[in-house]
Amino acid sequence: MNEAVNTSPAAPLFDDERLANLGIRWLIPAETAIFEGSFSLLHCQVQGDTLYRGVFAVLLFPVSHPNHLISLRYQDAKDKEQEIGVIRDLSQFQPDAQKLVRDNLRKHYYELTITRVFSVRHEFNLLFFDVETKTAGRREFVMPWRSDRTEDYGQNGKVLLDALDNRYLIPDVTALPANDRRVFTRFIYW
Amino acid sequence: MSADLLLHRIPEAVRTAAEAAGFRDGELLFSVRSDLDLQGGGAEVWTIVSPTLIASFVVSGESAGAVIGPHAFAQVEKVRARQKVGSSFLTLRIDGLYIEIARYSNTRREYFGRVAIFLQRRIEGKTLPDSYLEKPSELICPVCRLPLPGRGAGCPRCLRGRGIFVRTLGLMRAYWMSIIALLAMMLAGVGLDLIPPLLTRTLVDRVIQPRTHLDWLPIILLGLVGASAGRALLNIFIGRTSSIIGTRITRDLRERLQKKLLSLAVDYYNRNSVGSLMSRVLYDVDYFQSFVQQVAQGFLLNLMLVFGIGAMLFYMNWQLALLVLLPIPFVVIGTTFFWRNIYPRHYRVWDSQSKTAQLLSGLLSGIRLVKAFGQEQREEQRFSNAASYLQRSRRNLETSVATFNPIMGFIFGLGGLIIWWAGGKRVMEPNGITLGTLMAFFGYMGMFYGPVSALSMFSNWVTGFLSGGQRVFEVLDAQVGVTDRIEPARLPAPRGRIEFRNVTFGYDPYSPVLNNVSLTIEPGQFIGIVGKSGSGKTTLVNLLCRFYDVQEGQVLLDGVDVREIAQEDVHRSVGLVLQEPFLFRATIAENIAYGRPDASPEAIIAAARAANAHVFISRRPAGYDTRLGESGAGLSGGERQRISIARALLCDPRVLILDEATSSVDTESEQEIQRALARACKGRTTIAIAHRLSTLKNSDHIYVVDDGKITESGSHEALMELNGTYAKLVRIQTELTRLEV
Repeated sequence: MNEAVNTSPAAPLFDDERLANLGIRWLIPAETAIFEGSFSLLHCQVQGDTLYRGVFAVLLFPVSHPNHLISLRYQDAKDKEQEIGVIRDLSQFQPDAQKLVRDNLRKHYYELTITRVFSVRHEFNLLFFDVETKTAGRREFVMPWRSDRTEDYGQNGKVLLDALDNRYLIPDVTALPANDRRVFTRFIYW
Repeated sequence: MSADLLLHRIPEAVRTAAEAAGFRDGELLFSVRSDLDLQGGGAEVWTIVSPTLIASFVVSGESAGAVIGPHAFAQVEKVRARQKVGSSFLTLRIDGLYIEIARYSNTRREYFGRVAIFLQRRIEGKTLPDSYLEKPSELICPVCRLPLPGRGAGCPRCLRGRGIFVRTLGLMRAYWMSIIALLAMMLAGVGLDLIPPLLTRTLVDRVIQPRTHLDWLPIILLGLVGASAGRALLNIFIGRTSSIIGTRITRDLRERLQKKLLSLAVDYYNRNSVGSLMSRVLYDVDYFQSFVQQVAQGFLLNLMLVFGIGAMLFYMNWQLALLVLLPIPFVVIGTTFFWRNIYPRHYRVWDSQSKTAQLLSGLLSGIRLVKAFGQEQREEQRFSNAASYLQRSRRNLETSVATFNPIMGFIFGLGGLIIWWAGGKRVMEPNGITLGTLMAFFGYMGMFYGPVSALSMFSNWVTGFLSGGQRVFEVLDAQVGVTDRIEPARLPAPRGRIEFRNVTFGYDPYSPVLNNVSLTIEPGQFIGIVGKSGSGKTTLVNLLCRFYDVQEGQVLLDGVDVREIAQEDVHRSVGLVLQEPFLFRATIAENIAYGRPDASPEAIIAAARAANAHVFISRRPAGYDTRLGESGAGLSGGERQRISIARALLCDPRVLILDEATSSVDTESEQEIQRALARACKGRTTIAIAHRLSTLKNSDHIYVVDDGKITESGSHEALMELNGTYAKLVRIQTELTRLEV
């Protein structure tokens, strides 16, 4: 038996057991209750564990896996952020629990999605954007013209950080109307 | 006062609801407006704070009319501004839970940060004045509302209002004699440029065509040679003079920038990358040389030529002159359109070049890692992508130029054909113009389109110059931050007593890293500081070295506030040994004597001996004269660290700070360094920050820093007995050491 163990292919590096040994706990619906508690805050009770109040959710892969791998966290008595565990697939949970987590995620992330780019003007090494957003209508913002003020978002998307760190998302630059894309890539070409 | 902040007053938009909730005008502390509701919808939300109550009222948006709270202020344990991704929350801790009272976009982060601190201080029983809330923004220009390039930096728009051109001319004031000479030479040059076509006309009309005055031929040719030689001579002088002025101005400017950069606080370097500052000193300054060249050989010269040649054309024949002007609108429009489109392509080439260079530099410096992980193929692919980007960028630029230039040539050619057609007809008419005049016309026409084309590109140069100039003046105008008093206190012989008295400090003033820290270190004591990464250990050192000034409280050296002491004395009193020793490209002796360049060789040897560095230095063929490579290349980590200890010791500081001095070396080197330090620390106040707690066992006193506060303090034994964080860390490390063994 020992011989067989030594010659068999290496066990998966990050199987559930090993991850559990590393302190990562998967939150599964059968063992996890997610509900709204006092002050309308998210609460979480994991079987055999304490009740966590004031829980918040964080996406571990916000771009590549926005519906999976969601970390539930809380603030301990010393104000330190601690992880309760990770939800691998939110869709496995009850619809009301899913809604609570999604609502909570909406609190964690705030980005205005750009649908049109009307103009980009360059002055003082700043870019003056005039854009249409999905939820906030037509907006103007100013962004320093530096590559560190943009983040890649997936294959073709960009997140623009304005001068005050507000975030503007273009999920897919190639999906912009041709003229908007030309106006945009004239300055954001990296 | 901002319309987003009302002191002691309920905003009219929510008056009814606020009064119903128990708020009254005059009894309020303040009302503050945010731009999001808790769900992240755009909304006008007022958070109203009285000495007893706090609540938010939504005016518009999906949840209009909603009230968040009210909460009794007496129940609030803490107030925090909690940063999320793209927005933040003002939160209250009640019964151990953080409750969101308002949400705001990052546009309002600055003053909500102040609101959080204002309220937290109030809970702690320390009242801040109303003026704290009303402080002007450090992120937005108070005059034109343009976002500033950095916290507290100058506004590029207002700076431009003061005139980058005027300021640049001011830089040239010292060279006004040369500038006048330059202008005079330019005028003479334009005059000389006008001569050859006139002589050509005389040659054709008076000599060649009528076959008379053959004796004029050599004189005219001599005149042509003279004009040409004179022009060449003037060009040499103009080029040399403008180069002398330009290079002097750029040298002066680079020196001023470097001096300014040395005077700026460490904080400035946190806000600006080293690469961007280097680019300003090395490349942006070159715009100022090009300014001189533009004045000498560009804009002014071309303007003079256009007017001079234009006048001559009209003087010779105004009808033909009008025809010469025909292609001008096309040239101007074409060039302007071209440059507007080509300008960003230049940036793209620059960007692709710099990205390729970065990639290659990262690849070469991390070559061992690449090989160790067998990632050569992946790196090949990454470089191939960068090379393709560079190729596409260059191709884009060059194909545009390759298309534009022939088109412009064609338009100019058309201008010539029009003159051939109209001028030729006029030559053949009985009372028309002479062939010489036509020839002269062609001469002038060739000289005319060039400057016109150059002038139409001028706006492009101006854009580049203004942005480069703005970046340079931005550094020159930056606030120095940490400055000496007019008559600072002097500490010629410090004893080394250190006190932190109620110190609060944050690199972002609204997110404190140290919270109300107090500690005292007696002269000659060896103090250990322990804590997790980011707990605030190095910040304590940064404040003692006066790299930053505290926001609240005091740091005292020998009982004197470090802000009162001349920085020179503070830096002489405090020696610093960092985790990553920085060595210059110089000899070992020069590196050791960096803080005391006048040190004798004997003193250098003594310092090296004290730092356990003498033996390995003397084994080298060139001994102390060994020239080190970049960042001390050629030495091991432990050797570099011992040289940096010798450097600190040579200055004989009363206070020695060891910031993770042995963290990045192997055990053997660590023992060598520890032996050196044991000797070096004798008689000095020593502050050692260390992760390896074994190195602090013999400290007189150990402080445990956690989340910006001193959470434990005492001797090693006392802290072990306390069985708190320190004891836990020691146990973990002992276990780790046991496992390693």
